[in-house]
Amino acid sequence: MGLNTPEIELLGIAPEIALVVGALFILIVDAIIGEGGNKWHLWILSTIALGVSIFLAVQAWGSNELQMGDMIAVDGFAAFVKITLAVFALLTVWLSRSYLHRDGIEESEFYGLLLFAVAGMMLMASAADLIMVFLALETFSLALYVLVGFRRTSLTGQESAMKYFLLGAFSSTFLLLGIAFVYGAIGSTQMYGSSAAGAGAQGIATALVSLPAGEFTLLVIATGLLVVGLGFKVAAVPFHMWTPDAYQGAPSPVTGFMAAATKLAGFAALIRLLDAILFPLRGDWRPLVIGIAVLTMVVGSVLAVVQEDLKRLLAYSSIAHAGFVFTGIIASNDRGVSGSLFYLATYGITVLGAFAVIAVLGGRDERRTTVDDFRGLFYESPLLAGALTLFLLSLAGVPATVGFVGKLVVFGAAVEAGYSWLVVVGVLASAVAAFFYLKVLVVMYMQERQEGAEPATSGYGGLATGVIGLAALATVALGLYWSPLIDFAERATFFFSAGG
Amino acid sequence: MADTYLQVIFWAFFALMAIAGIRVVTTRNVIHAALYLVATLLGAASMYVLLYAEFVAWVQVLVYVGAVVVLMLFGLMLTRAPIGSANFDNNQRLVGAVCAGLLFAVTSFIMVGAFEGQEIDFTGTEGTKVQSIGEAIFSIYVLPFEIVSVLLLAALVGAVVISRRDEGRVDS
Repeated sequence: MGLNTPEIELLGIAPEIALVVGALFILIVDAIIGEGGNKWHLWILSTIALGVSIFLAVQAWGSNELQMGDMIAVDGFAAFVKITLAVFALLTVWLSRSYLHRDGIEESEFYGLLLFAVAGMMLMASAADLIMVFLALETFSLALYVLVGFRRTSLTGQESAMKYFLLGAFSSTFLLLGIAFVYGAIGSTQMYGSSAAGAGAQGIATALVSLPAGEFTLLVIATGLLVVGLGFKVAAVPFHMWTPDAYQGAPSPVTGFMAAATKLAGFAALIRLLDAILFPLRGDWRPLVIGIAVLTMVVGSVLAVVQEDLKRLLAYSSIAHAGFVFTGIIASNDRGVSGSLFYLATYGITVLGAFAVIAVLGGRDERRTTVDDFRGLFYESPLLAGALTLFLLSLAGVPATVGFVGKLVVFGAAVEAGYSWLVVVGVLASAVAAFFYLKVLVVMYMQERQEGAEPATSGYGGLATGVIGLAALATVALGLYWSPLIDFAERATFFFSAGG
Repeated sequence: MADTYLQVIFWAFFALMAIAGIRVVTTRNVIHAALYLVATLLGAASMYVLLYAEFVAWVQVLVYVGAVVVLMLFGLMLTRAPIGSANFDNNQRLVGAVCAGLLFAVTSFIMVGAFEGQEIDFTGTEGTKVQSIGEAIFSIYVLPFEIVSVLLLAALVGAVVISRRDEGRVDS
């Protein structure tokens, strides 16, 4: 017997390896140093691991191949998503340092789990086999379940973690069933199908070419189930039930990370599946995805109006934003894909900034997160109020912020593909959404501060300020001068394909 | 002749599984229920052996009989749940019965529809050998295999975080 091992090319998964090694290193170093002390080594080591990961992800730029026995695709799309994920994680690490330090719950496991989560998300972006999609999804989900409940003394935190865990496990079954249907249809779980000999020579892409028309029923069912399973993770309606609860109870840095990075990872897998692999079946999946997109935009925007808690409000807003990304996916042209990437990257930066402000203002144990608590904030801390204003305006899509550019790009792609009515729905939803962002602004600027209220800001580090500053800078700078990032996203829009 | 032996073994394990399965839901002692579950799962493992799926059979024994049931017993022990003859009936017997019945009906319908009247000849079958599974894991599935270890590691770290007591909380 001979073992037909695949060629091991580590460069393709080097960013993930760097993160896993970094996580292990952090856990071990912390065990050696022990209790007490300032714990500064944790965020420094995390920063180094993420920096190395970005460096390695950049190295893979330009390659376009399947590696490790056709399990992962190393292409521009994956590289873009990996770099963006690592940037999100960097901001999260710095913010978490301030947050955890203030609340006295700084533990090495937080950083370790965060790095595991990022590694899983990166694998998701380059997965070229449905088994890899599932494993990557489970890796980052498991880490996130624990991170959501990281404030162990908080009952809301525990409730959030429990709900997220149960619904997340439930959604995994849909994904698995979808994978099973794919296996039933084509006899393997590969997305592309390969030239290499072995059990998995057939893939979805090759099957779509070789199978006679009319035998796609199983694949269509599978597509539906895969969209449901991944729809849970990106918080699309009607699979959004967990989102407000999980976002509210999670520590604010984790909430920001989930809104930014989990969405990006989930959408990365969806985009690769729908717009690259299942593109020939678009007539079948478009009605389903259009329904989800319309529901997501409308329900997310409308339900956000009645929220009293700022974290819940942003949770519903994140649902609405998932709907906007879906319009880019439905367009399924090059502009749609690059527009979705651009949208996800810029939305992530903005929402991380918004949650950074909330983390700072919420105070120890997040006692102040309702909209009322932000009353008269402008008169007490004009800079933070200004930053939050900027982020909310960007989320609303006001011109001169990056949120406007993002909406312009995805809506433009949808119009190009002939879905103008979908864009009308999206614009109407944005108009509704603008209402609740403005509601927060009114409270901050036009109402008096409550008598005897605690000072809004107490005991947060310079790192959190830096994160808010960076996010604000990016929101304005990219809103005025967006072409470099769009160019980058456009050049990233090449998937591995057997032809080239 | 060999067929007769197989038939005897099959029906013996079938009886074991059926009786144990009924006892799982009828017994009032939760520990007894867990132990009856062991018998049911062992019966399922023996069915896999009869189907020449030795690897699946051993995974069944290791994972379900070994890990899952032990986990349940430990869970009962550590959470100080009411052991003994506590009444766990939550007045949802009807819903449970309907769900179980429907599941049974659908599964049987599909199985009968797919395999009715087919005779599967086992003579000369070697079944799924551990060797072929090992070769698959360490050839095309080597990366997923490694990712599983990262997944389990993340789960382990997460379990440590959840189960740790909050003595170390330092006030700043």
